[in-house]
Amino acid sequence: MAPGALDSSAVNGNNGDIAQLAHGFENLFCNRCSEGFGVNDQVVNSSGQVWHSDCFVCAQCFQPFPDGIYFEFEGRKYCEHDFHVLYAPCCGKCNEFIVGRVIKAMNASWHPECFRCELCDKMLADIGFLRNAGRALCRECNEREKAAGAGRYVCHKCHAMIEDGQHIKFRGDTYHPYHFKCKRCNIELTTDSREVGGELYCLRCHDTMGIPICGACHRPVEERVVTALGKHWHVEHFVCSVCEKPFLGHRHYERRGLAFCEAHYHKQFGNICFKCGDPCGGEVFQALQKCWCIKCFGCSFCDKKMDQKTKFYEFDMKPACKRCYDRFPVELKKRISESLKDRDAEESRRRSMSPGTKNAV
Amino acid sequence: MGKEKKNEPIAEVDYVDRNVVNIKSVPHVWDNQALTRLSLAHNKLTEIPPDIADLVNLEILSLWNNQITELPTSISTMSRLKILNIGMNRLSVLPRGFGSFPSLEILDLTYNNLSEKSLPGNFFFISTLRALYLGDNDFEMLPGDVRNLTNLQILVLRDNDLLMMPRELGDLQKLRELHLQGNRLTTLPPEFGALDLVSTKSVLRLQHNPWVPAIQEQLDARGCQGVWEYIRSENYKYFYGRQEVSNTPVPPKRNKDRKISRQTAKTTC
Ligand SMILES: [Zn+2]
Ligand SMILES: [Zn+2]
Ligand SMILES: [Zn+2]
Ligand SMILES: [Zn+2]
Ligand SMILES: [Zn+2]
Ligand SMILES: [Zn+2]
Ligand SMILES: [Zn+2]
Ligand SMILES: [Zn+2]
Repeated sequence: MAPGALDSSAVNGNNGDIAQLAHGFENLFCNRCSEGFGVNDQVVNSSGQVWHSDCFVCAQCFQPFPDGIYFEFEGRKYCEHDFHVLYAPCCGKCNEFIVGRVIKAMNASWHPECFRCELCDKMLADIGFLRNAGRALCRECNEREKAAGAGRYVCHKCHAMIEDGQHIKFRGDTYHPYHFKCKRCNIELTTDSREVGGELYCLRCHDTMGIPICGACHRPVEERVVTALGKHWHVEHFVCSVCEKPFLGHRHYERRGLAFCEAHYHKQFGNICFKCGDPCGGEVFQALQKCWCIKCFGCSFCDKKMDQKTKFYEFDMKPACKRCYDRFPVELKKRISESLKDRDAEESRRRSMSPGTKNAV
Repeated sequence: MGKEKKNEPIAEVDYVDRNVVNIKSVPHVWDNQALTRLSLAHNKLTEIPPDIADLVNLEILSLWNNQITELPTSISTMSRLKILNIGMNRLSVLPRGFGSFPSLEILDLTYNNLSEKSLPGNFFFISTLRALYLGDNDFEMLPGDVRNLTNLQILVLRDNDLLMMPRELGDLQKLRELHLQGNRLTTLPPEFGALDLVSTKSVLRLQHNPWVPAIQEQLDARGCQGVWEYIRSENYKYFYGRQEVSNTPVPPKRNKDRKISRQTAKTTC
């Protein structure tokens, strides 16, 4: 069907005028049944044609028009209900009948308020639209899409397109550089700016900051740089503050702005607690190649607190209380005792095999 | 207990060996914002509800020796948790995102049914981890991602089915305890020589593996010290390079049918 009346124009309900037959209607014939009119007949007069009131009915259901409202299509008149069923288009978005203004676009019909830009949701009925990859877009969104498709960037701040190669990246988005100033010298930025730690700097400022200065000899570090204590160091200049030996990548400990090798850290501040991870102040409990604060020593399995006098068992070099050890599955206990036996046997064999060492008791 | 101070918040709850089946029935836990330490070892829990993550101040959680088969994804959002012990359970898989714990330092997964296939992709990104206990599980290989555990000091892989160790483990400078006994290892990557594992403060366990003769001889004669000196040698690097391409027969797995973590139905006592 190609109903011109439905295309972007109004289809309005009409009211048929019901009038008492007056003189001068004698030569008229009903538009439906072609009979003449009797003196007492009610005549319906609509846009220059007349009907018996019984003949002025819906072309589909043959019932009078509720409230006299009818819809006309190809010379036939329909009640509102049947007209919708037969001819009214459905909206491509909400699937409801469209009465009134219809937007024909993208091979479908739409309520004006349902036809919107797929990206920004702006109503398109009055501003027009552009087809982009099967989508209806407003002019602005279309421009942006075109730019992105062509490898051009759109500025995240002003939403205008950025000339080729004239963008900067900042926290993952693209911008015109001139929206920003150098964090350090406040100069307006160009494409030569750099992002450091979430801030933007001009290239000059970046370069003076970029080369780390050694915290010990105050000269630039050009090869491997160690970052610790909030400073940069030459690998060979980052040393224990007591013995002054460089760590050369080995573990170091920091305290009060100073770095220590493990031995000197322990000497100065005590041991690191296996459980809480902090240096054990004062009294330390040592076992199983580990240290505990007195308050931290306990069963590693049920977390029961233990003290120096509590009997405990070793499992994977962790302390197990008697209850936890007793409740190990039988098959596991068997494996544990076998490996302990093996370990003892190996120990004694090794002692007898190496002639240089004395037999320890 | 006659005189209980009413306003004193309870920071630590021990509810050990009490036949608990439903974690929700444990008193002083839920709606207790002050809770920092919770031990539910030796109970009969089979599952942990997602609400566990509501215990926002919890630092230490022990679920040792229960019958847990699954953990909620929410568990890794517990932002203050430092020590988590879920050893001696029946886990064969870990939930998505398990590696996103922000403060976890000690993780004990000993004696479960875990293998490299059980681990979510981010498992080795718990950068705060100091100690990882995976003994008595079913690992056949360890992913090279282990190199991301840059603070790891202790790694236990005792009694798994490991056939090979990843070179990347050699990057873990802080490692001073490594337990590899009871696996199917024949060689170690020469990169391990960089690890400080044979000093007086270190622990290294290598027994019960089908080592190549050259390693086994060192182990028998001079212990771990001997093995480490050997794998640091140029000789060994050459040998290892050739070893990798030849296909040596795969040693068999140990029979684990007797492990209690294998039991599926609850045994009634
Ligand atoms: Zn009708
Ligand atoms: Zn609509
Ligand atoms: Zn802009
Ligand atoms: Zn600047
Ligand atoms: Zn220097
Ligand atoms: Zn020192
Ligand atoms: Zn402590
Ligand atoms: Zn215990």
